[in-house]
Amino acid sequence: MADLKSMEPTETLDVLGRVCPYPLVLTKKKLEKMNSGDLLKILCDAPASAEDSIPRYAEKQGYPIEVVKLEDKGYWEIYIQKK
Amino acid sequence: MLALVISGLIVGIATGWVLQRGRYCMNTAFRDVIFINDYNLFKAYLLCLIIVTIGANFLEDIGQIEELRRQAFSPIANIVGGYIFGLGIVLAGGCGSGIWYKIGEGQFNAWVTILGFVIGIYATKNGILSPVYNFLRSFTVWQTPDGLKALSDEQVIELWDKGVDVVPPTLYSFIGVNKWIVIGVLTVIALPFIFRGGVQKPQKGYSWPLTGVLLGLVVTLAWWASEKWGGGARGVSYTGPTQELFKFILTGDTPTWGAMLVLGTPIGAWLSAKGLKEFKLKAPSAEELLRVFVGGLIMGFGASVGGGCNVGHGITGFSTLALASVVATIFIILGNWTMVYFLFIKPMKDMDI
Repeated sequence: MADLKSMEPTETLDVLGRVCPYPLVLTKKKLEKMNSGDLLKILCDAPASAEDSIPRYAEKQGYPIEVVKLEDKGYWEIYIQKK
Repeated sequence: MLALVISGLIVGIATGWVLQRGRYCMNTAFRDVIFINDYNLFKAYLLCLIIVTIGANFLEDIGQIEELRRQAFSPIANIVGGYIFGLGIVLAGGCGSGIWYKIGEGQFNAWVTILGFVIGIYATKNGILSPVYNFLRSFTVWQTPDGLKALSDEQVIELWDKGVDVVPPTLYSFIGVNKWIVIGVLTVIALPFIFRGGVQKPQKGYSWPLTGVLLGLVVTLAWWASEKWGGGARGVSYTGPTQELFKFILTGDTPTWGAMLVLGTPIGAWLSAKGLKEFKLKAPSAEELLRVFVGGLIMGFGASVGGGCNVGHGITGFSTLALASVVATIFIILGNWTMVYFLFIKPMKDMDI
């Protein structure tokens, strides 16, 4: 599996400060509009969304995903490649 | 009193810890079923439910709990209140337990939801909405020796005085079988569904089976601890206890076991979040704060009318197999799905981001 976080993302989605479930809702919507092969980078600070619901959604769809936690900044960077 | 405070706090802390580690938001559990067709959290819910139902009824049978308090069946209130509560939790971005544990993660929006929730409860039970509350809750159905009957409170007391066996209806009294037959059948139906498919281990936090089992054990423990030290078996619930906590803080009422449980929940979640380095104070936009406040108000109204929230009815009440709780739980889920459809699924089709 390619290292997603070292690749240039096609688009970046900032959902910092958004309340559950908006991070998931906006991610789902964004991915639906993107093309196959595109890489989406998401900035998210909601633990349940970043660690749980977004990864579960990506796995369900069969999209490769990497979740990187930036502990010093208190948020996550999530990389999802649409298939 | 000291034992009440300490045992309530400890069970609250344990609950908050498990909810945070399991990222166990029941709003999410219900939502994901129709939003992304994912059943993991819902399976955790069912697993928890099986454990609590078996555990609580077992404790009752061996005499560790004198009686599981089963709610009187108030069909209109349970249906209307449950459904409205289900709508509210989606707007609020958290359920009765979710809003308390999210405080422990540093989410300021949860404070705002709780403010709405408690105002909603007071307005409904004691304030301007109390006529609506009293009206909706005035229709009650009881299990009598001659089957289900609609009875007023006065009629019930009259029958009790005559020594007639009038009790809140349950799934098993309704069908007319031993409670263990109902528990057995429900378990046999649920287990294959729960263990269909695999388990992916999350990066951090608990997997769904671990969350379900631990939460089931904690809620069973709560049934027992509240009987032993809390002045009566009540288990884990959030609606009544949230109001009791505010009464304790604002009017100097004696603290209840439930109020201590509510207080312990964010502490447990905070300890867990600290351990995972996930605690961060954060606030959403004013627009979202307003939305969660309104959601909290709606939750307060719905939970008061319905007689409980997703935990009080959905887990603890369901474990008693009271018809009131089973019906309310079904309508909480239907309310959640309705709001998810209108708030997320439908607008997404023409939403532009």
